[in-house]
Amino acid sequence: MGRSIPFLKALNEAMAEEMRRDPDVFVLGEDVQVGVFGQTSGLVKEFGEHRILNTPIAENAITGVAIGAAMNGMRPVLEIMFADFIMLAMDQICNQMAQWRYITGSQYGLPVTVRTSVGAGFRSGYGHSQSVQSQLIQTPGLIIVEPSTPFDAKGLLKSAIRCNDPVIFFEHRKLMLGGVEGEVPEEDYTVPFGKAVIRKPGKDVTVVAAGAMVYEAVNAARELGNEGIDVEVIDLRTIVPLDRDTVFESLEKTGRLVTVEESRIRGGVGAEIAALACSDYFSLLKAPVKRVAAPMVPVPGSPILEDFYLPNKDSIVRAVRRVM
Amino acid sequence: MALEKKKILEVYRKMILVRTMENTHFRLLRKGKINVNPHLGTGQEAVSVGVTSPLRQSDILFGTHRGVGEYIGKGMQPKEIWLEYLGKRNGLCKGKGTQHLADRKNNIPGLASSLGSDFSMAVGTALASKMKNKDQVTLFFVGEGTCNQGDASPSMCMAALWNLPVVFAICTNQFCEMSYMNEHFPTEDVAPRAAGYNIPYEIIDGQDIETTYGAAEKAIAHARKKGPFVLEYKTFRMAPHHSGDLAGYVKKKDLEIWGKRDPIDLCRQKLFQNDMLTPQDDEKLNQTVQTEVDQAVKEAFLAPDPTLGDLFQDVYASKEVG
Repeated sequence: MGRSIPFLKALNEAMAEEMRRDPDVFVLGEDVQVGVFGQTSGLVKEFGEHRILNTPIAENAITGVAIGAAMNGMRPVLEIMFADFIMLAMDQICNQMAQWRYITGSQYGLPVTVRTSVGAGFRSGYGHSQSVQSQLIQTPGLIIVEPSTPFDAKGLLKSAIRCNDPVIFFEHRKLMLGGVEGEVPEEDYTVPFGKAVIRKPGKDVTVVAAGAMVYEAVNAARELGNEGIDVEVIDLRTIVPLDRDTVFESLEKTGRLVTVEESRIRGGVGAEIAALACSDYFSLLKAPVKRVAAPMVPVPGSPILEDFYLPNKDSIVRAVRRVM
Repeated sequence: MALEKKKILEVYRKMILVRTMENTHFRLLRKGKINVNPHLGTGQEAVSVGVTSPLRQSDILFGTHRGVGEYIGKGMQPKEIWLEYLGKRNGLCKGKGTQHLADRKNNIPGLASSLGSDFSMAVGTALASKMKNKDQVTLFFVGEGTCNQGDASPSMCMAALWNLPVVFAICTNQFCEMSYMNEHFPTEDVAPRAAGYNIPYEIIDGQDIETTYGAAEKAIAHARKKGPFVLEYKTFRMAPHHSGDLAGYVKKKDLEIWGKRDPIDLCRQKLFQNDMLTPQDDEKLNQTVQTEVDQAVKEAFLAPDPTLGDLFQDVYASKEVG
């Protein structure tokens, strides 16, 4: 420990170190040699144009290229510039990549990491702002990762690149561009999938979040603490696999559950956790589960409307008060 | 003869095997013994067998859903195909792919169920061959109808841009599912699209096995040394799109014209003319192949079925995801 680096640098280091470690790892995507937000910037200097491969603008096809490369022994790290553009690659991601291991009877597993930038709040409008995480949880075969700290960003990205399953890795723009820094070891380490972490212990309410929403939840917990409500904040780290043990051990203690996500509310991650709570852990609940999520509207371009749209500390505070 | 005797007899046998497999499949379906709906490639055997037979085992093949020609051509065995088609647990894909055949030992990564999704995968496998300095070609075999999928364009673009060892072999069988290709294409040919990406192409007859084989051999050699190549074979689908298709849209006259140039008949005539095969040996060959196929079917039916536990296997490699 002992050194603090930005979220962006953590991502960059993870890719560089994995490429040094394993010659089969390479990065491809649109303008990855420049690096649209800086995740891949500078890598071309060390690894060359053939391993930091700029592609044409064709999300579905370049995802297919990553799949094909993985079929033939490579470990591609594909960048989809904006998470909204995952929608252009839904056939390759959901129909093919996720299911290929299964339909070939494990003859062809696909070690592909799909990294994508996500998150609203940048006045980018409806098609450059959406959190599509929850739209992917219906598909078997994918691992879905959303780190909140530089430590997790690096450790989880390394796990993703070493993983033999396809991983969709969400990099929140607020964390990349908002100057989030944190301690990251110099030495090699990974963060395992399916292990959530308690960011703030508490005994009254369990708040479950991931990515940038963890900060909103921690801030909400701080404010609620002043009112005498002791909130436990759980950072999921990976949405699939979901760390049920950590979430429901917390619920056993608190009896109250609030889920937080930037994806839209209908059929979301919160809906899944709430459903698990109701079906498998009903006896633990002292109050109805509340979901904090984006509303069922497009992300508006107007700054004022976008601020209304986004879940934040205040909406979490309101939800927690309602379950008390 | 352009092909030596041993080779032409080998591909002739493969074509007979393919047609026998497919006719047998159709009979099994009629009897209600198999669920996989056959999309037969009757009449196209010289293309599917001719284009794949020059491939090495180390080369990669992406095939189609139409019949078994390219899979037999690349080396898959009849019993392996039946085990998978019947959804058996010791099928190549453990019964989870059925019609979507994949065979790691023969470098067949599988068949995408949505037409054309494998266009770009073929670019990816070829990219990996290049990155790993493997002496390996990817052959992407595709129907003309699928060439209208959006990914066809960027796939050819990237293959040319990165100069990859890939052959796009288009089997123009005159039909795009249940309509004539002229309802799908403003042009008679598809291959000239390659010129837009500076990819060389050749348009050839798809009925004569020596022609189809020779063109593929050349294209594969080109891909191995120089970069991408596009082939377009002109043939005719004598079968309906799938077994439930009544094919009322097919003109009888077309069936008559193309029926006179059946690829197996053409090859047989050549073999007879060149004293490479006698009618007696031919009859014996057909019987042997049918017996081989029947035996494979019989054994496949007796193979064990998957279990409930198998349903949940093969989704993830990672142990932490249950």
